[in-house]
Amino acid sequence: MRKHSPTRRLTLITMLLAMSILMHMLEPSLPIPIPGVKLGLANILGLITLILFDVKSMVLLNFMRVVIASLLRGIIFGTGFWLSMGGVIASTIITLILYKTKKFTPVGLSVASSAFHGLGQIVVLMYINQTVMMIYWLPLLWFSSIPTGWITGSISTQVLKRLKV
Amino acid sequence: MNRYDKSLIVFIFISSIVLYASMEWFVRASTSDKVVAVVTYREEEILRIDMSIDNTYVVEGTLGDVFIEVKDQSLRVEKETSPYHICSIQGWVEFANVPIVCLPNHIVIIIENASYNPEGEDSVIQ
Repeated sequence: MRKHSPTRRLTLITMLLAMSILMHMLEPSLPIPIPGVKLGLANILGLITLILFDVKSMVLLNFMRVVIASLLRGIIFGTGFWLSMGGVIASTIITLILYKTKKFTPVGLSVASSAFHGLGQIVVLMYINQTVMMIYWLPLLWFSSIPTGWITGSISTQVLKRLKV
Repeated sequence: MNRYDKSLIVFIFISSIVLYASMEWFVRASTSDKVVAVVTYREEEILRIDMSIDNTYVVEGTLGDVFIEVKDQSLRVEKETSPYHICSIQGWVEFANVPIVCLPNHIVIIIENASYNPEGEDSVIQ
């Protein structure tokens, strides 16, 4: 984490938040043939925030992203909102736990985040639909989290290498 | 990517396979091909009869006891208390698409996992 002036820090986090909202909103239009599987591009910005700034900023960015994107899309407190929120809570918790160990690179953090995002969404789906059968989707989500997490983690690594803030 | 990342990826990969295998096992274990008759009273299941065992069962309907007999993979309502005795007159039933309905007693008997009567209904909505 580098030292920034409060104004510079606020500006940078706001820009990262704006980009993560954009990614969050654009992502559903990306054609991925497997239902329920997404790349998780917004997670790139969360990881960058975590590494550039601190845990608090990343948590704030992730939650603000879900709330603002849901408000903009008009789905606040709808099923989609709770699915995103469940995913974000689970992925943020696991990312923070693994980050504290200081043993994982952004690729590892991203893969874990992606896997637990799926787990959080499945838990919310199980609660909404009142059936445990939704858990049948979990192996596919966990398996797909490896390539998707690897892609987003690699992008984060490359961005962090080139970023001069 | 360091060795911790690789270990995490291997862990997630193995977990997804183990999860999938355990779910497959659970589905196979919980669903069997055994032919059973499901007896419901006012849309609530009250009895599940193994059709491979010849026996007589008694369930309580709205107007009184309903006697169900199983013999040679077939089932019938032996006797019951109702104005016209339609379900006992129906006789032996062995197909999944032929239910027994004792309307005055609010008893419905449906055979599951059995074959379908080719001369019966051409479709069944469940």
